[in-house]
Amino acid sequence: MFHALVAIKQVPDTTNIRIDPETGNLVREGVPAIMNPYDAHALAEAVKWKRKLGGKVTVVSMGPPSFITTIREAIELGADRGILLSDRKFAGADTLATSYVLAAAIEVIHKEEPISLLFFGKQAIDGDTAQVGPGVAVRLELPILTYATKIRAVDLENGFVTVERHTEHWVEVVETPMPTMLTCEKEIAEIPFAPLPDLIRSLRYDPEIWTMSAGPLEFDKQQVGVLGSPTIVFKMGTPPLPEPGEKFNTREVGVEKAVKLALDKAAAAGVLQAVLGGAQ
Amino acid sequence: MNKHIGFDAIVVGAGLAGSAAALVMAREGLNVALVERGQKPGSKNYFGGAIYTHAIAEVLPDFMERKPKFERPVTEAGFWFLAEDGLTKMVTQGGKLNAEPADAYTALRADFDLWWAAQAQAAGALLIPKTTVVDFIRAAGGAVVGVMTDRPEGEIYAPVVIISEGVNNLLTQKLGLIDHDLEPAHQALAFKQVISLPAKEINARFGLPDANHGVAASVLGDVSLGLPGMGFIYTNKKTISVGLGVMLDTLAEYQLRPYEVLQRYLEHPAIAPLVAGGQLLEYGGHLIPEGGWHDMPQLYTDGAMVVGDAATMVNALHWEGTNMAIISGKLAAETALEAHQQSDFSVRTLAGYEARLKEGFILKDMKQYRRFSRFLETHPEFMGTYPAFLNDALGGFFSAYGKPKRQLFTEIYQSLTGRRSLFQAAGDMLSMGRAVLGW
Amino acid sequence: MTTRRFWVFIEQVEGNVHPVSWELLGVARDLASQVAAEAEEKGDAVVVEAVLLGDKVEAIAQEALGYGADRVYLIDDPVVAYYRNCPYYKGIAAVAEKYAPEVFLIGATILGRDLAGAVATALHTGLTADCTGLEMGEVRGVKHKLLLATRPAFGGNIMATIVCRQHTPQMSSVRPRVFPMPEYDPAAEGEIIREPLGVTEAGALTCILEFLHHQEKSVDIEYADVIVAGGRGLETPENFQLIQQLADVLGGVVGASRPCIDAGWIDSAQQVGQSGKTVRPKLYIAAGISGALQHKVGMQNSDFIIAINSDPQAPIFEVADVGIVGDLFQVIPAMIAQIEAYQQEAAT
Ligand SMILES: Cc1cc2nc3c(=O)[nH]c(=O)nc-3n(C[C@H](O)[C@H](O)[C@H](O)COP(=O)(O)OP(=O)(O)OC[C@H]3O[C@@H](n4cnc5c(N)ncnc54)[C@H](O)[C@@H]3O)c2cc1C
Ligand SMILES: Cc1cc2nc3c(=O)[nH]c(=O)nc-3n(C[C@H](O)[C@H](O)[C@H](O)COP(=O)(O)OP(=O)(O)OC[C@H]3O[C@@H](n4cnc5c(N)ncnc54)[C@H](O)[C@@H]3O)c2cc1C
Ligand SMILES: Nc1ncnc2c1ncn2[C@@H]1O[C@H](COP(=O)(O)O)[C@@H](O)[C@H]1O
Repeated sequence: MFHALVAIKQVPDTTNIRIDPETGNLVREGVPAIMNPYDAHALAEAVKWKRKLGGKVTVVSMGPPSFITTIREAIELGADRGILLSDRKFAGADTLATSYVLAAAIEVIHKEEPISLLFFGKQAIDGDTAQVGPGVAVRLELPILTYATKIRAVDLENGFVTVERHTEHWVEVVETPMPTMLTCEKEIAEIPFAPLPDLIRSLRYDPEIWTMSAGPLEFDKQQVGVLGSPTIVFKMGTPPLPEPGEKFNTREVGVEKAVKLALDKAAAAGVLQAVLGGAQ
Repeated sequence: MNKHIGFDAIVVGAGLAGSAAALVMAREGLNVALVERGQKPGSKNYFGGAIYTHAIAEVLPDFMERKPKFERPVTEAGFWFLAEDGLTKMVTQGGKLNAEPADAYTALRADFDLWWAAQAQAAGALLIPKTTVVDFIRAAGGAVVGVMTDRPEGEIYAPVVIISEGVNNLLTQKLGLIDHDLEPAHQALAFKQVISLPAKEINARFGLPDANHGVAASVLGDVSLGLPGMGFIYTNKKTISVGLGVMLDTLAEYQLRPYEVLQRYLEHPAIAPLVAGGQLLEYGGHLIPEGGWHDMPQLYTDGAMVVGDAATMVNALHWEGTNMAIISGKLAAETALEAHQQSDFSVRTLAGYEARLKEGFILKDMKQYRRFSRFLETHPEFMGTYPAFLNDALGGFFSAYGKPKRQLFTEIYQSLTGRRSLFQAAGDMLSMGRAVLGW
Repeated sequence: MTTRRFWVFIEQVEGNVHPVSWELLGVARDLASQVAAEAEEKGDAVVVEAVLLGDKVEAIAQEALGYGADRVYLIDDPVVAYYRNCPYYKGIAAVAEKYAPEVFLIGATILGRDLAGAVATALHTGLTADCTGLEMGEVRGVKHKLLLATRPAFGGNIMATIVCRQHTPQMSSVRPRVFPMPEYDPAAEGEIIREPLGVTEAGALTCILEFLHHQEKSVDIEYADVIVAGGRGLETPENFQLIQQLADVLGGVVGASRPCIDAGWIDSAQQVGQSGKTVRPKLYIAAGISGALQHKVGMQNSDFIIAINSDPQAPIFEVADVGIVGDLFQVIPAMIAQIEAYQQEAAT
């Protein structure tokens, strides 16, 4: 049976983020929380293959109870089962601790129902680290294909998947044995507009919640949350501004003059000579 | 084969009217689908504004215990008259306005509507978000028996549908309940900004003792360049809502860009210091149906009823709309309950909705104010001349100048007659009275 | 006496080294010098070392010495002729376990980010992604200086500085073009130490069936000397021709702000900024770009910035060396004419 596991994260919609001008802190209030867009595309691809091959899609997420809405959204998009890994002790996790919790849970899920493919997002837009996927793959000793843009074929019989992934130089067509992890680019699949029955099912869906000990496994408390995180945030701030340069206003000095004054500055700094030398 | 999705009632639009209707029906045990096109209730909704508690209490007597998402109680309300460079206020404070709970609270729709819909959900209604109703499912005889949404496999069936779609009443039109598009002359485009400031700063600027006091003001005069329109300013906990509405046809005629009109208002010497240094959080626009009585659609048909803004139930002068929306939602819901009892969803039972409305204040008010929007159109002097005159007159009255008072009064008198003859002025007052009192 | 090792991963594809590797050797040298004093006090040695994998790439190891590595660990094996996650991370983790570097820098390229997360997990240590600033600094409660790694977070709205207190190596992936290219010294000497990969072809897990080359080579803005970038102020895609003309007389390439990419006016490879490329040209001209934080973080390290914007308050002027307040449709033609005149003058 085809069983896809998708790791999804809830993130603040970073296009809506504000900084408090007085404190320089992030204003979280009123910032909408969304499913990490890359994860949504990854999920869409998983569901597409489920519809093609039959089978099942399980989503898993680590986060506070507010992540339930994101799991429901995954059900709306076609997932069958949702698991939220949620415990106060998980809070403050960096990517190493996150990958531990996810890997431990995925191992259990895999024992219950063997997983064929794991779908992760390329990165989460709040941290943009792109580290959790590779971290989980290493812990589970799975092959990993990052920056996946297309699944060409899933061969359940022989247990192989063929994937296109892009690099800086080219697109690679890669074949790996399953289970395999993919971290997905947005172009892997369009996010469909879910049918109404799926939406209604999702509105009534309550995900399973696994905590430190309430669930089918016990997590190692040395490896979760702050304790399990080697990195800490040392400080945060808005980036400092350099001293701004001079401005010439075309309305005051005219277009020709403003351009000339600006180019003179560039020439005085030796820039013009340097680049025009290169142009010849 | 997809399963047939069925409910006892469908409510289209989780605004003030829709959630009220859903709450009332669900509480009585009906299986209700509350369909909302926005990501969440309130995410697409805008208003000034203030919400009136009398209407909420009618639907939910214990509302205060449910921690409603209000901003501040309105403890100071009134008119501000803007001249080009001055401001005259006519405001009232305390007295009735100090009641607990207050008669009105300022609110932000994104928060309030979410809370309001949550009350309906708590009563058992199923909120279906991110789904737009695009059409109706009709039985052979034409009766409405469900809705079609924009989703795949998106039909929902129910014997009764309450349409609370707001001002953009496409569905009401689709049902043929209103036979014309709303004219630009009957609609105001309202646009506003929400500007964030520390609560302390807001208290200081508006002369409020603390965040449990708030201002709601209607602003007339220079706010709309003297054109038919009205501004508003409301204090929220940590934000100020400020904006204005201008009739659509006026915007088109004078080729005004909403943003520029609002910007000009915000830069007015009396307004600018109130919002100075604040951070712009939101900017948005929304239509207000001001046609009122004249534009009111037929309110029901077999299997469906129309409530709230979709039925143009707004009192433009008083910025009242939320209360009419809530009450009409409640009355339609009660009618739907009756229809379920009788197992008759035809106009015979649903006519009870209009009868219930007639007993209350909504239809009475709407009839009384039926001339108001036409009045504004034909009397622009209320937007320009009189506010300017008021500022001149009071400014003169309260200045020493060092001249004889008789001369001063003569000057004040001339500043009016220079703008408008006494005869005209008397006529203006008369038609204002007619418009408001419904003579 | 201990040896404090500052490591840099050398990224090569088909024998071509990604320049970020050399940039990182430069910054590693700089970081090493920041701990020189405290190391001398304790009698510790400080070295900059490179890790290189590939098939017959010894020449590159030699080059790494020229860019400042004291020593290169070379894993030369046909299994790693092309990059694949599993053999790479396993090979590197084994060498790192053997030599215990203190700091390990990897370019935040597509390949580098794929690799870094795996290596850090295998070594059970912390990794700070996509850094734009690095320094060695004091951290309370720790006796020696730690790597302070600064990176944009929350869509570039905020800068976070991350430290890894107790685990080594302290790892960072670092954006290309954030740090300058170091001088190359062809006479530099150093050691090349060969290490075994320890992974067979069967253990590589994945098999690359074919390479599909990109249809058209997209414009490479990352390493261009001159970039003329256009923003939403251009109003239509056609107006990018004007930007192109200016780029042509300057021998440069065209960049853009994100809305132009979102609107499909120009190829996404040309996006400058937080979610696009970081650039560091000799000359950056921004026309009709307001200068949002997310754009600025991608270009503020340019040597010289000229901003053209009709709004005198546009934040782009905050990072510009010189600004022209005016209509770009007037300013750019004038600029093209004057530069052409300047060139003619210079030629005679
Ligand atoms: C600027 C401004 C200031 C105002 N100030 C005040 C004030 O201070 N006090 C006051 O009492 N009133 C005020 N009003 C009026 C008041 O906001 C409205 O009268 C009230 O919101 C009407 O409620 P409603 O439920 O009928 O419509 P709405 O609140 O507009 O709700 C309609 C809902 O239906 C949804 N919807 C629409 N079509 C569909 C569809 N096809 N399928 C699914 N969902 C759909 C919408 O997304 C929306 O959530 C103001 C209005 C404006 C514009
Ligand atoms: C998570 C996240 C990541 C992002 N990543 C990036 C990124 O990588 N790169 C990026 O660029 N943006 C990025 N953005 C978007 C960024 O916040 C800004 O929205 C964007 O940079 C604005 O582009 P712009 O300056 O072209 O457009 P605008 O902000 O609309 O500015 C247009 C400018 O043109 C000027 N102008 C108009 N007409 C003329 C004229 N005739 N002559 C001269 N000047 C004129 C105007 O005064 C204005 O300043 C990101 C945003 C988020 C939330
Ligand atoms: N808390 C989490 N819960 C579930 N999945 C996560 C979590 N954090 C990260 N992921 C997955 O890992 C991917 C990369 O995240 P990141 O490394 O944070 O950029 C995301 O796209 C998700 O698929």
